Amino acid sequence: MAELQNPIEKRQMDLEKALPMWKMVLDQFLTHKPAMISAVIIVMLFLISIFAYQLQNWTGLDPDAQNINYRYLRPLSHSQASIDIRETEIEKFIIANSAAAGKIEKALIEKSIVQSINPSDAIFDLAQKNPTEALMAIQSLDLNEAESLATLFKNFKSLHLLGTDELGRDVFIRLVFGTRVSMGVGILVAIASALFGLLIGSIAGFYGGIIDSILMRITDGLLSLPMIPILILIAAVDLTKLPGLHSLISTSNESILKMIIILCLFSWMTVALLVRGSILSLREQEFVLAARTLGAKDSTIIIRHMFPNVIAPILVSITLGVGESILFEAALSFLGLGIMPPTPSWGNMLNNAQELIYQAPFLAILPGLMIFITTVSFNYLGDGLQDAMDPKALRR
Amino acid sequence: MINFIARRIIQTLIVISVLSVVVYYLMSLMPGDPVDMMVASNPKITAEDVIRLKSLYGLDQPIYKRYSRWMETTLKGDLGYSRTYRVPVEELMAPRLWNTFILSFLALFLSILVAIPLGVLSALKPNSRIDTFVSFLSFGGISIPSFWLAIVLIILFAVKLPILPAGGTQTIGLGEVGLWAELLDRAKYLVLPVLSLSIQQIGRFSRFTRSAMSEAMRHDFIRTARAKGLSSQSVIWQHGFRNALIPLITIITVSVSSLFSGALLTETVFAYQGVGKLVYDSIIGNDYNVAMISFLISVGSVLIMNLVADIAYGFADPRIAYK
Repeated sequence: MAELQNPIEKRQMDLEKALPMWKMVLDQFLTHKPAMISAVIIVMLFLISIFAYQLQNWTGLDPDAQNINYRYLRPLSHSQASIDIRETEIEKFIIANSAAAGKIEKALIEKSIVQSINPSDAIFDLAQKNPTEALMAIQSLDLNEAESLATLFKNFKSLHLLGTDELGRDVFIRLVFGTRVSMGVGILVAIASALFGLLIGSIAGFYGGIIDSILMRITDGLLSLPMIPILILIAAVDLTKLPGLHSLISTSNESILKMIIILCLFSWMTVALLVRGSILSLREQEFVLAARTLGAKDSTIIIRHMFPNVIAPILVSITLGVGESILFEAALSFLGLGIMPPTPSWGNMLNNAQELIYQAPFLAILPGLMIFITTVSFNYLGDGLQDAMDPKALRR
Repeated sequence: MINFIARRIIQTLIVISVLSVVVYYLMSLMPGDPVDMMVASNPKITAEDVIRLKSLYGLDQPIYKRYSRWMETTLKGDLGYSRTYRVPVEELMAPRLWNTFILSFLALFLSILVAIPLGVLSALKPNSRIDTFVSFLSFGGISIPSFWLAIVLIILFAVKLPILPAGGTQTIGLGEVGLWAELLDRAKYLVLPVLSLSIQQIGRFSRFTRSAMSEAMRHDFIRTARAKGLSSQSVIWQHGFRNALIPLITIITVSVSSLFSGALLTETVFAYQGVGKLVYDSIIGNDYNVAMISFLISVGSVLIMNLVADIAYGFADPRIAYK
């Protein structure tokens, strides 16, 4: 076939290979710089929360391990495991390799690094010393057997990237696990409440009449309430006293589950209003009439024909909802009514830190900074998605 | 119009009364009733005493009977007695309400004062440096946890640079120093709370002002006004801004609810003696009478503000016809 030089034919070709919807949205999204940066940050936070346990194994830090002698450490400082932990580890080592331990003990006393009367105390006495000094002493023994002891001693020393808190727990690993909790709660709440809002909104919009006005009065009533006082009230209630809920929330993760339920109860209203509005206008369109003429059930019309039309705004409101839920979770945990310690969440880390602003101000800065970065990212992402999906804003 | 107002008033009353039932029920679900608390603090109380006390205070009655009795006495004007503060509830409420009112309205005033010029400026110069700044400010303002901002402000201005008090409402034991000194003292305690409460509203308002203003400036009558040779100042303020004002009024009135939510957190962080802190303290401290009343008053006042806003809106924009 000849070259397509004819401009009319060329335009025809261009029209025929029009970009698919998702590609246009993606192209548009990529031009929104803050939203792109936010997407990268959110992916990183996601990875951190998914691989929290791997990070724990890799760094050898435990979010719950307390260490009273090393409280309020500055960022990038070292701590040594507490003496009882060291002694149990050494005991395990001696039991596991008694021959090697005997040799090391002898060597230690011969070189008069320790002055133990009983040779079996030698390694324990060594452990009493300054960690770097003890490690040097082991390496100076020049024994092959001492290698494994040296690694054991190395493990006693841990680096605290972001310092330690009021109980000597590592702040970095607590923030990592806090990310897991806060992101998990935020995302679950946003998705669950969007689904609930979708249900309520579509029922109200599709059937109209008395169902619509009852559901909308409830929605309006809930929307007009100030959120924080209501959430505090519900969070303070012992939910296990409610009949029927007892079996549902008696697990170890009670506070997290409770948080998700409470936040879901009060965040479905915007999605419901949004869905109702779109369904009201969709109801009058020809394709719904066509589907009905073909004998489609109500549920088929709503799910197969109407939902695809409301997915875009719902996606935006889920994204914005994540940020909002994280803020509410943090606020409640901050007040001591949300996620209960020792489970770390950004909010309850702030709760502890508030009383310590004189001793350790950085403890109060870090968790809040994480909340701020996360919610800003989700808000920018939502804004970017909105721009990208708005058909009026598309640049073709 | 009158029909609309009547319907809205009835609606608000229904919401408040449904809320009072729900809240009363939820309060009964809180761990421990007053007699249980008494038992916990006094080991000498016998089981018979507990039964006697429970029937004396009506705690052995079913919940609906307790509710109707509570409602009856409340409507008669007897709000009950605070177990924590040992004073009648109404004595407790009045100064707290006043304190919260001052805090919220100063914050509202400040945020309007800052946000509207910023929003208008950024709408007039889209994609300029000020527009980017306002966009960042609004996203940051919406996203920042207000309680954390409060802590950061305390660290900056009370710990690092000790120029302002870290918390409280006024200096204790100030004595008689005259009106001005007292006002100045109160003002010092208000600076940080108002600041931390305003940031969020500034973010929200400036974003809405920007979009309302750029919408208004696109109208044909703006072009006409320009073509007539009006000065740009009068085009912007007399023709543009006046039209942007209507959506703004809605947003500002709707934000009273979020302002109140924020005030609770701010008051708690700064130990500012307002209603929000009273709601929190009484719920945490199982002070039921105070919790019920302060909760209902605070939520009710938000609902009434919404009602007033709806009605005022009708007067502000004659195009809106209420059905």
